[in-house]
Amino acid sequence: SLSLSPKKKGGSPTPEPSARGRTKEMSSAAQQLPRTESRTLSGHEGAVLAVRFNHDGKYCLSCGKDRTVRLWNPHTGAHVKTYKSHGREVRDVNASSDNAKLVSCGGDKQIFYWDVASGKVIRKFRGHNSEVNSVKFNEHNTVVLSAGYDRSVRAFDCRSQSSDPIQTIDTFQDSVMSVNVTNTEIIAGSVDGTVRTFDIRMGRETVDNLGHPVNCISLSNDRNCLLANCLDSTVRLLDKNSGEMLQEYKGHICKSFKMDCCLTNDDAFVIGGSEDGFVFFWELVDAPIVATFRAHSSVVLFPCHQRHLSPNKDLHVDVICRWDHSCLDLKIEIADVCYPY
Amino acid sequence: SRTVVVYQLRRQRARASHSEDPPAMASHDDDQDLVVYGTPIEREEDISARKRRAVADAGQLRALPAWKQEVRDEEGRRRFHGAFTGGFSAGFYNTAGSKEGWTPQTFTSSRKSRAEHKKQSIYNFLDEEDIKDMGGNALETSQQYDTFGFTAAEHARKQASKEQNERPSAIPGPVPDELVVPATTSIGVKLLMKMGWHQGRTIKDAHADSLYESRREARKAFLALSGVSNDEDQDQIASQKSRVDENVAESFNKISASGNTPVYVLHPKEDLHGLGFDPFKHAPEFKDRKRSHKSVNRDRNRSDVSVRGSLLISNSGQYAPGFGIGALEELGVEDEDIYASGFNYEQTEVDIEPSKTSGDSKFKLEDKKRGFFLSFKIASNSEYKLERFHPPEIPADFDGRHKFSSPIQTADKFSDLAPPEVPPPEDTTLRLLIEGCAAMVARCGKHIEDFYKEKSKASPQFLFLDGGDGCSYYTRKLWEHQQKFIDRQRPGAVKSKPSSDKLTAENRGTILGEKPLDRSSKSSSSFVSAKEAVQLQSNLGDTFVKPISLDGVPESKKPFRNEPAKQARFEQFLKEKYQGGLRIASLAPTITMSDADRARERLDFEAAADAIEKGKEYKAIDPLSILGLPGLNEQRFVSSTQLESSAVLQDERPMYPQREEFEWRPSPILCKRFDIVDPFMGKPMPLRRPISKMDTLMFMTESTKKINEDVRGSSTIPQNAAVSGTEETEAQETANNPDIVASRMQRPVDLYKGNLF
Repeated sequence: SLSLSPKKKGGSPTPEPSARGRTKEMSSAAQQLPRTESRTLSGHEGAVLAVRFNHDGKYCLSCGKDRTVRLWNPHTGAHVKTYKSHGREVRDVNASSDNAKLVSCGGDKQIFYWDVASGKVIRKFRGHNSEVNSVKFNEHNTVVLSAGYDRSVRAFDCRSQSSDPIQTIDTFQDSVMSVNVTNTEIIAGSVDGTVRTFDIRMGRETVDNLGHPVNCISLSNDRNCLLANCLDSTVRLLDKNSGEMLQEYKGHICKSFKMDCCLTNDDAFVIGGSEDGFVFFWELVDAPIVATFRAHSSVVLFPCHQRHLSPNKDLHVDVICRWDHSCLDLKIEIADVCYPY
Repeated sequence: SRTVVVYQLRRQRARASHSEDPPAMASHDDDQDLVVYGTPIEREEDISARKRRAVADAGQLRALPAWKQEVRDEEGRRRFHGAFTGGFSAGFYNTAGSKEGWTPQTFTSSRKSRAEHKKQSIYNFLDEEDIKDMGGNALETSQQYDTFGFTAAEHARKQASKEQNERPSAIPGPVPDELVVPATTSIGVKLLMKMGWHQGRTIKDAHADSLYESRREARKAFLALSGVSNDEDQDQIASQKSRVDENVAESFNKISASGNTPVYVLHPKEDLHGLGFDPFKHAPEFKDRKRSHKSVNRDRNRSDVSVRGSLLISNSGQYAPGFGIGALEELGVEDEDIYASGFNYEQTEVDIEPSKTSGDSKFKLEDKKRGFFLSFKIASNSEYKLERFHPPEIPADFDGRHKFSSPIQTADKFSDLAPPEVPPPEDTTLRLLIEGCAAMVARCGKHIEDFYKEKSKASPQFLFLDGGDGCSYYTRKLWEHQQKFIDRQRPGAVKSKPSSDKLTAENRGTILGEKPLDRSSKSSSSFVSAKEAVQLQSNLGDTFVKPISLDGVPESKKPFRNEPAKQARFEQFLKEKYQGGLRIASLAPTITMSDADRARERLDFEAAADAIEKGKEYKAIDPLSILGLPGLNEQRFVSSTQLESSAVLQDERPMYPQREEFEWRPSPILCKRFDIVDPFMGKPMPLRRPISKMDTLMFMTESTKKINEDVRGSSTIPQNAAVSGTEETEAQETANNPDIVASRMQRPVDLYKGNLF
C-alpha cells in the first residue's frame, strides 16, 4: 500500500554555532540547506538500501531488502511502479539517462537490466561470483559497470546479446563498494582502502590509497574532485588529478555501514549521513559542520543522499532514505528544498 | 533382342489364384504369367549408341539455357533428377542399396574356409569413379621413414623370394636371410652418416679418453725414466725416450682405429671344395703345420717364391700315413702320399693370402723411420711454460708475533716483586680514585701515571702517586691490575700463576661485569630454596650465554641470502649466540633501522637460529623445516613494499593518501562503447601486473581484522536501544554468535552484512 504523508516545510533553520562568522551569503546558502522532511514515501516492505534520482530529477528509484525496485515521483509522492524479479535483496539501482532502462543489482550475483515502461527484465548480466554492491550506466547507456563483493569491477555491454562481461577489473584486494563513471574514466572505491581510477583514454590505472575502507565514491560536479566516504568516520575530498587530499570532514559516525556522501549541486557543501540518524552538511573549503538534522527518528539509519540537477536548474532535492532496524516503520523520507541560483 | 529367361509359373499357383476359373481361361493365363527374371544384357551397339547420343546431347545441351540442361554421366544416364522426380539419384532410386536390396556384396561363411576369408580393403568401398579420381595412386605404407631398417629388409626379402619364384634356381627352398642385404639403410644410420659417422666407427667419442690414457702412460714412463736417469747412459735415455714417443704414436694410431665395430666382411669363396668341407678334418697335424707356417711366414716376410720353395722342401718330408719305411730304405716317389691333399691346400692358402698385417706393420715402421706420423705428434719443446716464483726470503731473526713495547715489559718488571697486601684507605672516594687510576695505568702504560703525576701537582687528590696517602695501596692495586693484564694476554699461563688465586669470586664477577647475586642468608650452600635457584638461573642467564658450537651449520643455510647486509647481521647474531660467555651489551646499532624494525629483525633471527639448531638436531627427521625456512623468509622480506605499507599503516598515518599508477588495458569493445580510441590499439597484449596470492592474503587478513574490530565495536550500537553500548552487551553478542564472528574473520568485509536482521 502506498501512503503519502506530505509534511509542511516548516521551522526557521537555525545556523550552527560553527557556521557563525561566515560570510553572509555563505550563511544564507547554509540556511537554504534542506532540514525538514517534506514527504515520506511508504511502500517498501523491508529496509531501503538505496535511493537514486533519475537523470532529470523528476523521479526517484528505491530498492531494498524486500527484493523490489520501486519507482516514485517524489514531488507528488506517487508510487509509479514496482519491479519484481530479484531473488535477494537489491543493493543498488541506476536509471539510464534516457529514462528507458534500469539496472539493479544485489544479492543474487546478477545484474538486472530492466525496461522501465514494461517492467520486464530485458537481460541478466552474469559474471560476478558473489553479491554486487553497486551498479552504474555510462554516459551513453551502452555499458553497465558493476562493483562486487568478489573484488572486481565488471563492465557489461548493453548492446550485445551476451550476458558475459566485456571487461573485468580484478586488481582490487577487497570488496568493491562503489563504482562511478565519467565519460572517460571508471572510478571505484574498495574496502582495501583504495580508490582506483581507470582512465580508458590513457590506459592508466591510478590507485589512491586512503588507508581506510572506502564506502562510497562520489564526484564533484566539475569532475575534478573525488569525495570518498571512509569507514573511519571521515569523508575525504581528493583532487582527482594529483591525488592530494584536500579536506577531511568529520563529526558523523560511519563505522560499519555503507553510506553515501555527495556534494550539493553548486559544490559548496558536502552532505553525509551518520549512523545515529543525523544528516551532516559540511562547508566544502573549511570543513565546518554547517548544519545537521535528525532525519530519522529510529535508532539505526541508513542514510543515502542523492542530489540531482533538474533541467530548469532551480530544484535541489536531497533524499534521505533510511533503513529502520526495527522493521516497523519503513519509509523513505524526503527533505527537499527549492532555491534559485 | 534380349536373352530373357522365361519361366512359366506353375499351374498350381495360377490355379490357386484362379481356383474357380474354368480351364478355358488357361490359354489366356499362359500369356499373362510370363515373368521376366534376371538382368538384361545390353549389347555393345546399344551402349555405344547411347554414348554417342550423350556426346551429341552434351553439345546440344550447352546451347540450351541453364535450366534446361541436364546432368548426365559418361554413359548418358541422367544423374540428377528434379525435386519432384527424386532429386539426386543415389543408390537405387534414392535408396541406399541396390535393386536386390541391402545385401552384402558377397557373403562367404568363414566357418569352413577361414584361410580364404577375404580381407577388406579401401577398394571395397570405392566405386570406379573414386578410383579414377585417385589417379592410379594406391594407398600404401611408406618405406621412407623406416627407423630401424626392418621394413626395408623385409621388403628386400620379399622381393628376393618373388624373384626366386619367378626364376627357380638350382638351390631349392627359401633364400637364406644372410644373403639378402637390405636395400636401404635405416634412417638412424642415414642421420649418423650425415653427422660424419661412417661404417665401422663407434658412436661413442672414445677419442678424448684414449688420448688421456696415452698421455698418462707417457707421463708414467717419463717418470720412471727420470728416476733412473742418473746412472743410465745418455743414448739409452734417448732410446727410451724414443720408445715413449713410439708409445704415444702407437696409442694415437690406436685411437684412430680403436673402438670400431668390426664390419662383417663376406669373404668370397674362391677355393674348389664344397661348402662346409674341412680339408683338415681328419688331419689335425696338418692344420698345426699350416699355422706354424703362417707364423713363420709372417716373421720372415718371405716372398711367395721362397715360400713355395720351402714348401717344396717340406713336401719331401711328408709320408703317406699307414706305410712304414724301413730304416735302410730311401724315400721313394711311390712312398709319397699322393692322396693327402692338405699340402696342396696349404700351398694355395699361402699363395693366396698375402700377409696383410705384416704389410701394415711394415708401413708403420717405415713411417716411424721417416719421423712423422699421420696423426698428431707431441711437440718436443712447448711454448707454454708455467712461471714460478721463489718465496721471499725471511730474515733469520723474524718472529711472527708483534711485540708491544711498554705495558707488558712494565708488567713483567712489576710481576717479579709482589708488593705486600695493604688494607684500603678509609676514605672511599680516595680508594675508588686509587683503584681507577691503577686500572688506567695498568691498561694504558706508564705515561698515564706521568700524566696523573702532572695533574697531582695541581690537585691534592693525586698525592698517592708521589708517595702520599695510600701510596702502598696504589702500588698493590697497580700490580694486581697488571697481573690481570698479563693473564689476559697469556691465557695459558693463568693456572701457573699463583697470584690469580688471590682473586676472589666477587672480584672476578665485578671484573667480568656480573650482577652480584643475592647472598643467601643461610650460609650452607646445600640448602638453597627453589626460588633462589630460579633467581640464580635467571641471573646467570642474564649475563651469560650458553655456548653452542657453530660447526655443522652449512653455508647453504643462509636464510637471508637476498640481503647481504642482513645476512651479515644475522651471522653476527649467531656468533654472539654461539660464542658463549658475556652477552655484549650494546650491539652496533644500524642507523637506518627503527626500533620496531630492529625488534622484528631480532625475532626473525631468533626464529631462524632456532630452525637451524633444530635442523641440526633432527637432521634426519625434518630437513624440510630448514629448507622451508629460506623461502618463508624470502617471502616475508622480499615483498618489502607490502611490509612497509603495513608498517606505515601502524605507525605513520599522515602518509595517506598514497598514489600509484599502473598501466591498465581497457578492452577494445569497452573503448568502442565509451566512444574512445583504444589507447592500446595495435599493440600486443601486455603482461598482467603480477599480484601474488601471498600479498593479497596478507593484506586481507590485516584489513579484515581491523575492520572486524570496527564492526564488532560498532555493532553494539544497533543492538541496544540506547546510543551508548556497554561492554557486557558487546561481550554477550560476540558470545552469542561466535560463528558469525569467525566467518567474518575469514571472508572480506561485506558492509551490508554488518547488521543482519
